[in-house]
Amino acid sequence: MRKFFIPLLSVSLLLMMGLSSCQEWEPVFTLKYEDPAAYSQVAKTPTITIAELKEMYIENGSKPLEILGNYVIGGQVITSDESGNLYKEIYIQDETGAIDLKIGKNSLYSDYKLGQWLYVDCNGLTIGSYSGMPQLGIEDETGEYETAYIEAQYIIDEHIFRGSIAPLPDILEVTEEDINDAIAKGGFRSNLWGKLVTIKGLKYGAPSSYRTDAFKRIFALIYIDPNKDKKAQSNRIFLSDKTYGVNTWAMTKTKFLEYLGAGNFDSATTGDDRPLDADIMASLKFNAAAVTLSHYFSLGVTPVQIRTSGYAKFADTPIDPVILGDPDSESADGASIDVTGILSIYSGAAQFTLIDLNGVVINKK
Amino acid sequence: MLKKLLFSALAIILPLSVLLAQGVPTGGVKGTVISRTDRTPISGAEIKILQRATEVASTTTLSDGTFTIEGLSDGMYDLVVLSAGYLETRVNATVNDGYVKQLFNITMTQVVSEVTEELMEEFDMDDSGYNDNPTVLFGQNDVFNSIAGYNFSSVRFRARGYTSESQDVYLAGVKMNDAITGYSPFSLWSGLNEATRSKTTVNGAEVSDFGLGGYNGLTNITGTASAVRNGLRGSVLTNSSLYRLRLMLTYASGRNDKGWAYAVSASARLGGNDWIDGVYYRSFGLYGSVEKSWGDDKHNIALTFLTTPGNRGAQNASTQEVYDLIGDNMYNSNWGYQGGKVRNSRVRITNEPIAFIKYDYTPSFNFKASATVLYRFGKNGYTALDWYDAQDPRPDYYRNLPSYFWMENTDYNRRNMFKYAAAKEAWTHPNLYEDLVHLNWDRLYDVNRNSLDEDGLKRAKYILEERHVDQKDLNFALNFKWRAADSFILTGGARAKMNKTEYYKIVNDLLGADYYLNIDSFAEREYASSEAKIQNDLEYYLRHGQTPVLHQGDKFGYDYYAQVRNMALWLNGHFAIGSFSADLGGELGYENFWRDGLVKKGLFPGLKSDGSDFIIDGVNLSRDSDGNLLPTSFGRSEVCKFLTYKAKLNLNYVIGGKMRVYANVGTFADAPNFNMAFLSPRTRNSIVNGLTTIKTNSVDVNWQYTGNGFNARLTGYYTTIKDQTDIMSAYDDLQNAFSNFALSGIDEQHMGVEFGFRVPTFIPSLSLQGVVSYGRYIYTSNPTMVQTLDNTATPVEFNGATSVVIPYWKDSPVYERDENGNITDRVKYTQVHYIPSTPQLATSIGLNYNYNYWFIDADFEYFDKAYLDMNPLYRTDYATQGPDLVATPTEIEYMTTQEKFDPAMLVNFSVGKSWYIQRQYQLGFSLNVKNLLNNKNVKTGGYEQTRMVDSTVGKERYYRFDPKYFYMSGLNYMLNVYFRF
Repeated sequence: MRKFFIPLLSVSLLLMMGLSSCQEWEPVFTLKYEDPAAYSQVAKTPTITIAELKEMYIENGSKPLEILGNYVIGGQVITSDESGNLYKEIYIQDETGAIDLKIGKNSLYSDYKLGQWLYVDCNGLTIGSYSGMPQLGIEDETGEYETAYIEAQYIIDEHIFRGSIAPLPDILEVTEEDINDAIAKGGFRSNLWGKLVTIKGLKYGAPSSYRTDAFKRIFALIYIDPNKDKKAQSNRIFLSDKTYGVNTWAMTKTKFLEYLGAGNFDSATTGDDRPLDADIMASLKFNAAAVTLSHYFSLGVTPVQIRTSGYAKFADTPIDPVILGDPDSESADGASIDVTGILSIYSGAAQFTLIDLNGVVINKK
Repeated sequence: MLKKLLFSALAIILPLSVLLAQGVPTGGVKGTVISRTDRTPISGAEIKILQRATEVASTTTLSDGTFTIEGLSDGMYDLVVLSAGYLETRVNATVNDGYVKQLFNITMTQVVSEVTEELMEEFDMDDSGYNDNPTVLFGQNDVFNSIAGYNFSSVRFRARGYTSESQDVYLAGVKMNDAITGYSPFSLWSGLNEATRSKTTVNGAEVSDFGLGGYNGLTNITGTASAVRNGLRGSVLTNSSLYRLRLMLTYASGRNDKGWAYAVSASARLGGNDWIDGVYYRSFGLYGSVEKSWGDDKHNIALTFLTTPGNRGAQNASTQEVYDLIGDNMYNSNWGYQGGKVRNSRVRITNEPIAFIKYDYTPSFNFKASATVLYRFGKNGYTALDWYDAQDPRPDYYRNLPSYFWMENTDYNRRNMFKYAAAKEAWTHPNLYEDLVHLNWDRLYDVNRNSLDEDGLKRAKYILEERHVDQKDLNFALNFKWRAADSFILTGGARAKMNKTEYYKIVNDLLGADYYLNIDSFAEREYASSEAKIQNDLEYYLRHGQTPVLHQGDKFGYDYYAQVRNMALWLNGHFAIGSFSADLGGELGYENFWRDGLVKKGLFPGLKSDGSDFIIDGVNLSRDSDGNLLPTSFGRSEVCKFLTYKAKLNLNYVIGGKMRVYANVGTFADAPNFNMAFLSPRTRNSIVNGLTTIKTNSVDVNWQYTGNGFNARLTGYYTTIKDQTDIMSAYDDLQNAFSNFALSGIDEQHMGVEFGFRVPTFIPSLSLQGVVSYGRYIYTSNPTMVQTLDNTATPVEFNGATSVVIPYWKDSPVYERDENGNITDRVKYTQVHYIPSTPQLATSIGLNYNYNYWFIDADFEYFDKAYLDMNPLYRTDYATQGPDLVATPTEIEYMTTQEKFDPAMLVNFSVGKSWYIQRQYQLGFSLNVKNLLNNKNVKTGGYEQTRMVDSTVGKERYYRFDPKYFYMSGLNYMLNVYFRF
């Protein structure tokens, strides 16, 4: 028996080793996987410009338009959602203008790099306006908005193609006159909106204008209970008549609770002018969420709101006191700043979105 | 011949030489050979008498199974019994004073087990998020267990509804249940079937020789060289539901004349399967054991080493929506193609060797004792994708499914048909859109490749992490059995366990990137402004001024020890008077455990080594905003201590030699398991409130009949289990954090009947067999729940309270409908909630043919009363009330109902045959075909997702997320060919 045993054992062990190393037991492969090849960059030829696309909206009677046919735009990515200040959107820009591309995914900067050429096959997409700002998305079947997010990956893959990564386009420097000119033209006729721009000489605080009835520094809308009617004034708190000691770009949930706990909002009132009683305070605490904040700056006499999301990584970063100046004075007395980011239009006013805090430079007083 | 025998006897056994002078030997042996399963006599069995491995006499049994061999001189002999269709049996016999020794019944085990035991492997097959161990302790000598163990495995039947933790599994006298989870540890030796085949099993609350046991049986695997069947055995197995191929080779020497025995075994399990893509095995098994006895077999020592290193790809549950879209209930979302090859993201990578030394001392026939030292060690890793500030890569993530875009119910506010159609297009054409319906590895690599930092290095957005649970488990066990008198046997023992288990993660694969950072990305969402707070290793960060940069193989995330110590003493007295016998036993034990954190996490750093607070950049990390000290991630937690006990009484009455009536009563206080004791062990030392021992009372009454080829057992049982705790962890992407639900005070009741029979039919060798298990396993309490988040020490508040009773856990109301079919507020009846994930009704009826090495078995099965595992969140007032804080009958009924699975019918068939060649070699095969009806709609388990749809339009109610299910494979086969020398 022994004479069988040793050879048999050896043969079997060899067989086992042999079989286990040739892992072709389809369909599973279990050895070292090769790194996949890089995705192939698509180079499409745009058939229309972004300006021409926006023109189609106007020609449609300034109503949302589902684009049908061979319409391909091409533009460079000029925003990143890495800091979290932009969410589910990227702006692309070509020679003729820029547009807000609504893609319903988070962390878009992983797939769409700053400066990268994107080609959008607009066939089946919808162009619409969000309070005056042109957006490219898909049809919102509920009719609540003019466009909905391009969301199912299948739709993204069918319409958005990634090209080569190139340096960012030259950043346009805009003046007060440019902004007022663009406001006059509106969201779809001016090529300024949505572009990556630098605005020089902004000062904190904006005097009353056709948009505001008094000297403004901040604006925030907080819902007492977000599960209840958001339109009811009794469920709203506006922080806009003074700063309430808020000195951060926005408020994360943690920061909001910190302000609330420190009594910053004790003197605030509801939309229907009731003081914040204990019940309201309890509800605010229970339903606490990140708060998006607009800071009013002025470019000359033109107000420019810098709007920052409560989900931005820099939301809780204090604005340099040099910029803020005296919070009680009725004048923009802080240091002026130069900002770089996305200029957009919201209900006929200029709104500015920082991509990150590198977009803020303080000028020496 | 006789001279030769005498000569060798003279030469070797000197003490016997005195007897030689007395002339022709008059001694001998006699006995009856019977079948182990039905106690029928076996005629024509060949009996060989060996002395020092030399055959000295032989005979065959008569028609009544009896045999007599005479003419043996005094001495020790090995008696070998061989019979067609039965396993070889060996017994020792000592002839002294020239008498013919009466050996009484020598039992033989049928070859049937060859097929059956291979099947037990299946239990260990997939890692599907919950425990996969056999839940029927396999026992060839119990008719219920042999049929149920064989036929019910594929539907995850659990005997009497008990969990695997309640089942005691011993190896060489040492309790092997996992120190952390209590799970029975079959995976440690799966693939070494031949080496671990020898085992002893008791059922229910019966008492074993190896330990007092609990209420769900005890099995002891012998594991030593002499227990492995003699000779060389090899087998090749192929199988369509687990892995393509298993090879196994085993050699056991048997005991030689110097008292040595050794055994070795090696196996390999390789390949994928026909049913679940991505599930594969690449596992090996190694076993070696040497054993030596001396001093007339009074002393025996065995040394054994075994290990089963390997990788296994795991399966994942998905929602019915996904299965229906793909058109396959076996869809597995864990894998995707990389370079055209299937790659699974969830792979279990294990190498956990066991080594033990066992010493047996048998000074006399009336006393035996053994001592074992056993050490389990090695590594156990489980890979998973981890990502930082990137999209969820799982293909079946709910936001990728059609239902996320459009739902009939307008409350969901999912109204976009265009997106719905697009998502559906992809999911219904999996061959065209492989990268959308499976994991898209190519994209993960691409994202990493393009994630360049300021230095041009690639910071990983996606990695494959490997979560480790590495045990160091040292055990001591002492057992003795003392036959003090014919009517009294005392058994007892002591055991102790020291377990140190390290939990940590390593980077398994950077997926093309250069590095990863050791930060808590969940904490970062909430505390982005405090860099210190998001550190997983705060001390490194403070020392080096930067976050640890991770490369392949580096530890990250969390790192802590679970420290468990336990010991127990047990004693059992067996009394026998005539046909009546009784056992009375008890066990006293002590267990303690604690967590020992090895890193200081930024969220919960505790205090500095000098006792002061961690204040970094003006933020006090050690305290909350009210100045209270936060729980700590570092150092030793409070020690949880438990005094445990067991007491058992067993009464047994034998009627006429064939019928037995017996009853068992037991009461138990067991320590909770470590994994149910800490709120969030990944992040801190916080312990569940109200942690206490689990109290179980159990009684069973049994009737058993064995004889004339008939074999039957009927059992009724009743068990209550109280004060259990449970921790469920789920990633909550609304809170963007890991959420832990701690339940305490869970009570259960298990009652039911078991019946198994095998009876001969009018056709010889054909028997009719069947089992019925009908139970009612229910929850009997409404437990208390505390929800915590990994990010914060403050428990989540539900309508203002942090600790809430779950009012709809044990039952839920069903409301009357009015004449129009609308729900009213009148309660029609209250529906109890059941223990999930096992059919509470399981039946089987079949035919078994067993003749001349042929084995054929065909069975029909019916299962019903299986229920889905519940999540506690849906049974709270918070969930039924919804955002408007008003609980309507519609909401209560919708939210709290427990899902019942559809009944299932299955047909299984097996055939086997073996041949003896020249009486020395054996060649055989077995073919097992399961689920002949190819039923692909049998749910075997699943779970409710612990989250709700709260972004509804009306804001009046919440909706559930779809549950996830596991399904049984369709028709599958296993073919085993084996040989033996």
